[in-house]
Amino acid sequence: MSAAESVGMREDRRPHDDVAALIPMLRRIIEARVDDAATADDLVQETLVRVLAAAARVEPGMLEPYAIVTARNVVASMWRDQDRHRRNQHRVVDLDLPDPPDQDLLANEERTAVAEALSRLTDRERATLLAHEVSGQDTRSLAAEQGSTAGAVAAQLNRTRARLRVEYLLVQANVEPPTERCRPVLLALSGGDRRRQREVDAGRHLLECDVCARLSQPLMERAQPRDDEVRIPISTDADIVAARQAARELAARLGFARTELTLIATAVSEVTRNIVRFAGTGEVVVELVDRPRRGVQVTARDTGPGIPDVERALTDGYSTYSGLGLGLPGARRLMDEFAVVSEMGRGTTVTMTKWCGER
Amino acid sequence: MTGPKLVSILRQGSWLIASIHTALDDTQMVLFQQDLIEQIGRYRSRGVVIDVAALDVLDSFGARTLRTMAEMARLRGAETVIVGIQPDVAFAMVSLGMDTGSVPTALDLEEGLAYLARPGGRGPGHRGSAAG
Repeated sequence: MSAAESVGMREDRRPHDDVAALIPMLRRIIEARVDDAATADDLVQETLVRVLAAAARVEPGMLEPYAIVTARNVVASMWRDQDRHRRNQHRVVDLDLPDPPDQDLLANEERTAVAEALSRLTDRERATLLAHEVSGQDTRSLAAEQGSTAGAVAAQLNRTRARLRVEYLLVQANVEPPTERCRPVLLALSGGDRRRQREVDAGRHLLECDVCARLSQPLMERAQPRDDEVRIPISTDADIVAARQAARELAARLGFARTELTLIATAVSEVTRNIVRFAGTGEVVVELVDRPRRGVQVTARDTGPGIPDVERALTDGYSTYSGLGLGLPGARRLMDEFAVVSEMGRGTTVTMTKWCGER
Repeated sequence: MTGPKLVSILRQGSWLIASIHTALDDTQMVLFQQDLIEQIGRYRSRGVVIDVAALDVLDSFGARTLRTMAEMARLRGAETVIVGIQPDVAFAMVSLGMDTGSVPTALDLEEGLAYLARPGGRGPGHRGSAAG
């Protein structure tokens, strides 16, 4: 509606005509302060409403200054509002996303999987775990009940959790582990027990078993990221360069001399090339060790055909491609410790170590 | 090949100066070999200096490729000298048990060029008019 109409409809015409006469001036005042035409229009209307409401109270002749002040106030209060709005806008954001339509379904699957995984634990494991996690019973009182120590109960709980994670993943992926080695490997990975992982040769199993390679992803991500270990998947000869540079970088942190770093890099280059040449794919793991002494250990694994005669392969000049036949024996000379384990049809693992410091 | 050049082969008179700028993998090494042999023919080069100062490692494959290159160059009528083998790389090569005897080497580019220019060596001039 326009102000003029509303003014016209009033019965007492005198003061309203005065107000109507003010409109062009008010428009000028407000438009000088507000850019947006629509907003300016709104503010003019608002000012008019206020002036009209007060018109009866205002002394004759004072209506114009009154209207001017009112217009300014209206603009100022709009600015104030805008400012407050800007300052508080971040509070308005709704951080909770709306529930996705499949949420119920997923939650249900999740519940079923956890329940199924729980049912695969032994009764005792389940009872202890639930008492601790759900009922909040502490390890000491659990230990008292079981006639054990708090430390032992905590360790047992850790093992149970590790098992629960593995069973949960198996249920969720809806697979049975294809070999009898799968469970121990997954358990060792889930528990983050590096000694156990070595015992069951987890690295090799993950190269061989697709199911475990897939299932172990979340378990590996769980593990604390280690900055003293690098894992390089090997498949092309560009990876040879990547592996030897990674080894050099990691070993440099131990304070190896430049010469020794080059020895290590050369040895890594040789064994990694064997993977590319003979096996196609594999992985190289470089890790820093501190027992029995500080040093760098390189493990090169592949799932290739295996070496028929390891003794001969370690002899100088034995070569099955047109190399110098220096690969394995050369690498052995460059490092302090060197071991090759090869199984026909299953692959080869080369483990070599260079100790840091005095020999 | 995209990105910065891994290897540059410059021509100076009848010599080629090949510099490796970064660690090369096997494929790049073989490409470099082919490139160099091709250029020896194209520029009728009589001497080649290969600067390997930027190589972090000269393993058995790298060393064998260099030796093959030198031998191929020799068969194409050019003499090769390898320069810039870093001390630690040299140590690793010896420790590895590599036989590195047959290819002439020099400390750096300057020495390498001096070697090619030695009396009785392959001088910087172009090949005889019979060939050109």
